[in-house]
Amino acid sequence: MSELKKENIFIKIKNMPVDSIPKTLLVAVALCLLCSMIVSFAAVNLKSVQDINKIRDKQKNVLQVAGIYYKGIDIEKSFASFQPMVVDMEKGVYSNKFDPKVFDDKKAASDPTLSVLLKDDPASIGRRSNFTTIYLLKNKDGSLDKIILPIYGYGLWSTLYGFIALEENCNDIFGLQFYQHAETPGLGAEVDNPKWKAQWKGKKLNNQNGELMIQVAKTSGLKKEYHIDAIAGATLTSNGVDNLVKFWMGKAGFKKFLENLKNGEV
Amino acid sequence: MAFRNFFNSIEPHFEKGGKYEKYYPVYEMVESIFYTSSAVTKVAPHARSFVDMKRIMTYVVISTIPCVFWALYNTGLQTNMGLSNIASSDLEGWRIFILQAIGIGINPNNFFANIAHGFLYFMPIYLVTLLAGGLWEVLFATVRGHEVNEGFLVSSMLFALTLPASAPLWQVALGISFGVVIGKEVFGGTGKNFLNPALTGRAFLYFAYPANMSGDAIWTPVDGFSGATSLGISASEGFETLKNYGITWSDAFLGTIQGSLGETSTLACLIGLCFLLITKIANYRMIVGCLIGMIGFSSLLNFIGSDTNPMFSMPWYWHLVVGSYAFGLVFMVTEPVSASHTNLGRYIYGALIGFMVVMIRVLNPAFPEGMMLAILFGNIFAPLIDHFVVMANIKRRAKSSV
Amino acid sequence: MSQTRKQLLIDPLVDNNPITLQVLGICSALAVTSSLNVAFVMSLAVIAVTAFSSFFISMLRNYIPSSIRIIVQMVIIASLVILVDQIIKAYAYEISKTLSVFVGLIITNCIVMGRAEAFAMKNTPIDSFVDGVGNGLGYGLLLMCVGFFRELFGAGSLFGIMILNPVNNGGWYVPNGLLLLPPSAFFIIGLLIWGIRTWKKSQVEVREYKIQTLEVH
Repeated sequence: MSELKKENIFIKIKNMPVDSIPKTLLVAVALCLLCSMIVSFAAVNLKSVQDINKIRDKQKNVLQVAGIYYKGIDIEKSFASFQPMVVDMEKGVYSNKFDPKVFDDKKAASDPTLSVLLKDDPASIGRRSNFTTIYLLKNKDGSLDKIILPIYGYGLWSTLYGFIALEENCNDIFGLQFYQHAETPGLGAEVDNPKWKAQWKGKKLNNQNGELMIQVAKTSGLKKEYHIDAIAGATLTSNGVDNLVKFWMGKAGFKKFLENLKNGEV
Repeated sequence: MAFRNFFNSIEPHFEKGGKYEKYYPVYEMVESIFYTSSAVTKVAPHARSFVDMKRIMTYVVISTIPCVFWALYNTGLQTNMGLSNIASSDLEGWRIFILQAIGIGINPNNFFANIAHGFLYFMPIYLVTLLAGGLWEVLFATVRGHEVNEGFLVSSMLFALTLPASAPLWQVALGISFGVVIGKEVFGGTGKNFLNPALTGRAFLYFAYPANMSGDAIWTPVDGFSGATSLGISASEGFETLKNYGITWSDAFLGTIQGSLGETSTLACLIGLCFLLITKIANYRMIVGCLIGMIGFSSLLNFIGSDTNPMFSMPWYWHLVVGSYAFGLVFMVTEPVSASHTNLGRYIYGALIGFMVVMIRVLNPAFPEGMMLAILFGNIFAPLIDHFVVMANIKRRAKSSV
Repeated sequence: MSQTRKQLLIDPLVDNNPITLQVLGICSALAVTSSLNVAFVMSLAVIAVTAFSSFFISMLRNYIPSSIRIIVQMVIIASLVILVDQIIKAYAYEISKTLSVFVGLIITNCIVMGRAEAFAMKNTPIDSFVDGVGNGLGYGLLLMCVGFFRELFGAGSLFGIMILNPVNNGGWYVPNGLLLLPPSAFFIIGLLIWGIRTWKKSQVEVREYKIQTLEVH
């Protein structure tokens, strides 16, 4: 009996006009179920590939600033020579609280328990994470070759995200590279200009007394070894870069850590 | 009269049915350089006036003469001063070769040397503008079968005067081409353009080649010479510091400062303005509106004040003399085609531009100069302003007629 | 069927191009045409979404209640867009960064909705699929045209391969910065429409008004 009744309901629905309320509801529910299943199936299955992409992308940026990236390089293999470390920004030492391979700096910067609200905020970043992932490039004998530090701050239209690479003496700059920004093409976007970037190589952060000297400015009388020419016609982007480099290399940034690293106290 | 006879003899070839019918615009253009057109209004109502389009355009060109003169002098002056720091053995370039060959030299204290040197910078830019823009004019006139319009003489002169002296000539050609084609011809030619063609071309260059159109190194065409415009200095350090650079208000008013060719001197622009107002070519309502908008909004910003943005405290009499405000006010705001056409609308149009200039100069971090963008903005709004003025008028009259 | 399948495919390329004739989908055409790589991937994404959404909607057309017709179309289109977005993120990560929200915004692209509502609701699945591919191709073709000019003259390259050596790379070409900014696509699309309508007079719209001319008596 019950089977026949079921059959009846099915036929009844089937014979209903398309615009009747039950059929409308049925179509809506069925379609939503089906579509959500397809979408979530795709999202779940592709997530692992997408995550790898994100990691690869970050690794590529690190390789680029260290000057060893070229098209077609095996990113994973080359990146193996880098050692990621999490730095405690307050104490200026390595922290073993987090796994550097999965630690998410950007998330930490917006987490009130892991970051501080900056009072003096020249780079306009709002909160600074207390823990930051850095990358050490080691020589074959295990000695330190280069240090790669993440930096970011506000330019004219957008936040510039990048890395700065330092030589093993913690004072000489090897290079600087932004991997994400939306500055004006032809003006501010010249931060990507190879000629402009080449200026950074060999410049020094601090003078002998340990004072921060590096600056991005219009041509000035300052000693050449601390001076980067501002980008012509892009005063505000240049000021932004100046501010963010000074901030991250200064006391609120990596200064303490770099001093410790130099003295071997990390 | 042999010359007239020559035209008379070839004219039939260009008239309807003639061999070169297609090229009538070219013929007409050449003929009207020498003779007044014989065509008169044939259809009623007959509005007879001495002021025809040709005369209007000629008057505007005449009114730019003080600015052209100043462009020659100041460009030469700035260049010669810039060169005075360079050893004479390092001097090079065809301009210096010519100047020295004919014995004028490059002494910045010599009035004629400055004019001559400025002339050698201005002339190539102006000629390229005429040539490149003229080519498009003739092309469109030929295809569309109308006459080449004198309006182009005005556009080309104004366009050349807004460029920096160091502008590469190929960019000049590209800029005026864009201005003429996109700013005017695509809408049907002179009288149908809703944007100012000269400014459209200038804006194109500004966004396309920012490195050649803004910054500190381009205003004086001397290698390695860096000199910011007074507006640039005001934007980064505040207008009070201008005196540290040796720029007083009267310098800025007279125009011995860095800037585009023809727009440094407020005085020269004002002389041009007097001429335009006396001959009634320019409508005073737009000038008044634009001044009120600028003075009103800059005074409001002075009152509000800001700790971080030095431009807030810049008073209106400085806004008037720095950058291209005066030049834009006199020659661009008053351009009748792209402006509002109702009297009330003209006040509103002017005020909108005055307000936008200060807005862009003070509050927008990316562009130190706002006159060009403000006028283009005003151009776009002009028909809308007219629409509302006309609608309000209709409403008012409908009410009173009941 | 008044149109053959071949016509369905070819017509939207020039004669009935969704961008130049119907002036739809301009927003994304401004945003994603600064380089050919990006424009190409975007074109593929739109072709896929238009084709498959038309296909599925046409399949269901007899079961879709007219009261929730638009929402049903939206759900199908949205699901396909998310699917495409996920795939691009997984297999073309670099490009997905530049495309950013614009893949998601295919949902709001009038071309997709327009074809679903105007064609797929009345025609067979295969025809709708072909129509979707055709319109996607028409969109893609224009995107590639615009992208060609913008990348070549804005950055001196095509598909990322240097053609005109730019000055900051030691070459001679001064890149035109305006072309890297979205408004330049407006000019290029405008000029393309001008060109196409000069070539195919039938596309010129009838004037809404006519300027009166006086007869000379």
